[in-house]
Amino acid sequence: MATIREKGYYHWDGRLEERRFPWWPITRTGIQLAFRKKWFKFVFAFGFSPAVVFLVLIYISERLEDFKSMFGGKERLITVNPKFFMDFLTNGFLVFIIVMVLVFAGAGLIADDLKHNSLQIYFARPLRKKDYLLGKMAVIFFFVLILTFVPALVLYVFKLVFAGSFRFVLEYPWLLLSIVGFAALMAVFFAFYTLLLSCLSKNSRYVMIIVFMIYLFSQVFYGIMQSIFRTPYMALFSIYENLLQAGAFLFAQKPPHAVPVVWSFLVLAAVCATSALVLTKKIRATEVIR
Amino acid sequence: MSIEVTNLSFRYGDIKALEGVSFKLGEGAVGLLGPNGAGKSTLLRILLGFLAPEKGEGTVLGYDIRREQAAIRRAVGYMPEDDCFIAGMDAVTFTAYFGELSGMPRQEAMKRAHEVLFYVGLEESRYRLLDTYSAGMKQRLKMAQALVHDPKLLFLDEPTSNLDPQGRIEVLQLIEDVASHKDIQVLISSHILADIETLCASVLILNKGKLAAEGRLEDLKAIDYSLFEVKVKGEDAAFRKDLEALRCRVDETEDRLIKIYMPAGMDRMEVFRAAARTGVQIRYFVKSQTKLEDLFAQVVGVD
Amino acid sequence: MTPVIETKNLSKWYGNVLGLSDVSLEIESGITGLLGPNGAGKSTFMKLITGQMKPNIGAVTIRGKRVWNDYRLFSRVGFCPEPDAFYEDVTGWEFLTGLLRFYGFTRAEAADRATRALAIVELSADKDRKVRSYSRGMRQRVKFAQAIAHDPDVMILDEPFSGLDPLGKRRLIKLVKDFESEGRTVLVSSHVLPEIEAVTSRIIMIHQGKILAQGDIHMVRDLIESHPHMISLRSPAARAVAAAFVDDASVLKMTFGTDGRSLVVETHNRDAFFSRLQAVVVEKGIEVDEIDSPDDNLQAVFDYLVGK
Repeated sequence: MATIREKGYYHWDGRLEERRFPWWPITRTGIQLAFRKKWFKFVFAFGFSPAVVFLVLIYISERLEDFKSMFGGKERLITVNPKFFMDFLTNGFLVFIIVMVLVFAGAGLIADDLKHNSLQIYFARPLRKKDYLLGKMAVIFFFVLILTFVPALVLYVFKLVFAGSFRFVLEYPWLLLSIVGFAALMAVFFAFYTLLLSCLSKNSRYVMIIVFMIYLFSQVFYGIMQSIFRTPYMALFSIYENLLQAGAFLFAQKPPHAVPVVWSFLVLAAVCATSALVLTKKIRATEVIR
Repeated sequence: MSIEVTNLSFRYGDIKALEGVSFKLGEGAVGLLGPNGAGKSTLLRILLGFLAPEKGEGTVLGYDIRREQAAIRRAVGYMPEDDCFIAGMDAVTFTAYFGELSGMPRQEAMKRAHEVLFYVGLEESRYRLLDTYSAGMKQRLKMAQALVHDPKLLFLDEPTSNLDPQGRIEVLQLIEDVASHKDIQVLISSHILADIETLCASVLILNKGKLAAEGRLEDLKAIDYSLFEVKVKGEDAAFRKDLEALRCRVDETEDRLIKIYMPAGMDRMEVFRAAARTGVQIRYFVKSQTKLEDLFAQVVGVD
Repeated sequence: MTPVIETKNLSKWYGNVLGLSDVSLEIESGITGLLGPNGAGKSTFMKLITGQMKPNIGAVTIRGKRVWNDYRLFSRVGFCPEPDAFYEDVTGWEFLTGLLRFYGFTRAEAADRATRALAIVELSADKDRKVRSYSRGMRQRVKFAQAIAHDPDVMILDEPFSGLDPLGKRRLIKLVKDFESEGRTVLVSSHVLPEIEAVTSRIIMIHQGKILAQGDIHMVRDLIESHPHMISLRSPAARAVAAAFVDDASVLKMTFGTDGRSLVVETHNRDAFFSRLQAVVVEKGIEVDEIDSPDDNLQAVFDYLVGK
């Protein structure tokens, strides 16, 4: 008795199923493709450096006696409270690194698909438009959250570990919620921001530049306007300043600008809404067959 | 019946893209033909589940075209006309990725991706980045992603355009092989009539939104009377006279092609006997059929 | 016949990448097909003929005059290039009349010629729409129109039928054949070999920068000795026919079809085979459905020469 396998086409005897998260392969692939870019790993790793610094500060704050000699009276500056966490999550360097990560990992998300016409084969699958968009956004959620929420959580846990007690939790019971809220806000905002720019062009290099430049320019513009007009409302022009305002609100701190916080939230929401509109219009599933 | 539709109609604003289109498709490769603007892409969109028709009903692979569109897209493979790939990936990752998006579990998709890439002839280059692929390889890749989830119905949109002669023949052979499996229905849209004739057993011809012709190519091309095309070597004047004496009508076209209209009841052996008698050598002998090109022109009502 | 286009030892390199090497050709009036795999040198050849590039060695002459830098000659040459290259924001009409003015025609003449060219390619209805809004087939037709509008007597057409639906192709094929009867010279290049076969039986085949074959395709086929001629026969008595040839030394191979009604024979001596076949058919009363030569076409010749 012998058998041979014939050349030619064979059928597959599995079943095609609807998975619970149809967008998951898109996210996973987006993340993998980002890591394949040469400089990305370095930029990404660099994004954890503020976390390391703040971790050290927490350690110092718990063992103040040991370090008394170094600080000579200024110890009170390092108190671990909501402001501490807000400082971590909103520090300029971290946000800058996040934008750089978006440049590498996010700029090409939709632009490349438009350039290489792959939308056709995506939508020839039982994939809805919202699955596609959600999958792409989740790539950005992943990177932003891993650079903000996860380190913040680690800092929180380490604070408890070093303090040796749960007193901290009781002192600031809603702190964890603030962390979650603000990290989520950043993730969602940056996702909409990046995808809006990514779907407007077929050239991902161009989008990379624009993602970076708009962020930078918004800050520069604010600086210029501020020096001319000297009104705090100019802060609404800067992405970073709006994030600061929102962060201050969520951590119950005093906002850095004399502008009602609700305006900042509105500006951020407006960007997200515009993005949602443009995305739904741009990704037209029926265009699959011209 | 893999596709059954009745009375499909669709309008874009004022333009009637499709009107009253009904047909049933069974086995074998089917060619979808029509002039530009005839409604082919609209029809394909409806059959692939992207568009619901304004009027009319239908099923594709048993799924309703209005209510079960996602199910249709799961079971159908589509090979688009344009180049499409994802930069930075290799063929295996690409094919497996789209297999997953169709609903295959990850490991199965990976296994199947390799199999399919072997089948389409990309085994040597399946680990290379797609950016380095030539035009012929990209066509095969598109075929691979259309086959990875083992669809029961394949739509191929202009599969051989923009390929050099070698590439075209190779892709044609691949499609012929796929179409030869009885349990895969293949629907091919193409402007290259020679390819449709090679690949398809039946055709659907659309014109101005309506179905202009439908059926097996053999039947559509058959001519009722006995018309034979013959090419000979040698001086053919005597040969032709001989046949005319037997009450045939004989025409000679350019290219020295001789058309013989035989009266009913006459045995075609007479042609050979006439050739033997007049000392010419028959080198080409074919019962005439309408060429697909002429059929197309007739049906579309031009010329 | 005096050749219209002549090249002697034509060679062109791009840096050290080979374009064409030592091509000496004479192209007469009428239609000639140009074929070859990708990268063989076809577009290099066309660019050299239309004077867009200067050869490294040798020269191209049209009616005895060198092509390079002879602008008067250009007005007698029409070129339909393969890639899309348009000013998107002008209308089809503006595009054509603009190009025609470059040839030195007055505004009235340009308008007249543009009208006629547009009518020939059946774009008269869309002439005032911007090129950006044209479909692929329409863009192809405008390209063709600009190649013929100035009434050139030499036409170089690179993939002229791509993007056209079967009717559009049919019309252009007829048009190209009309050019032949008007005494013009046309060089057509295409990857879809049946389309070349529809217009001409004279071909030039380029491969790896050199001329691989040239002439009438049937004669070229005859010259390929390494592949014996294939002749196919369909008949209910196919095997009986085969039996008659088994001891014929000039028959090299016989293959039976799986349906039992077909036979493919390979032989070096077609003459002997056909004579004998005819005799056998008449003698034994064999009912013949079909006799054909499956490899006497352009695709087969191409495959044999380019050597798959």
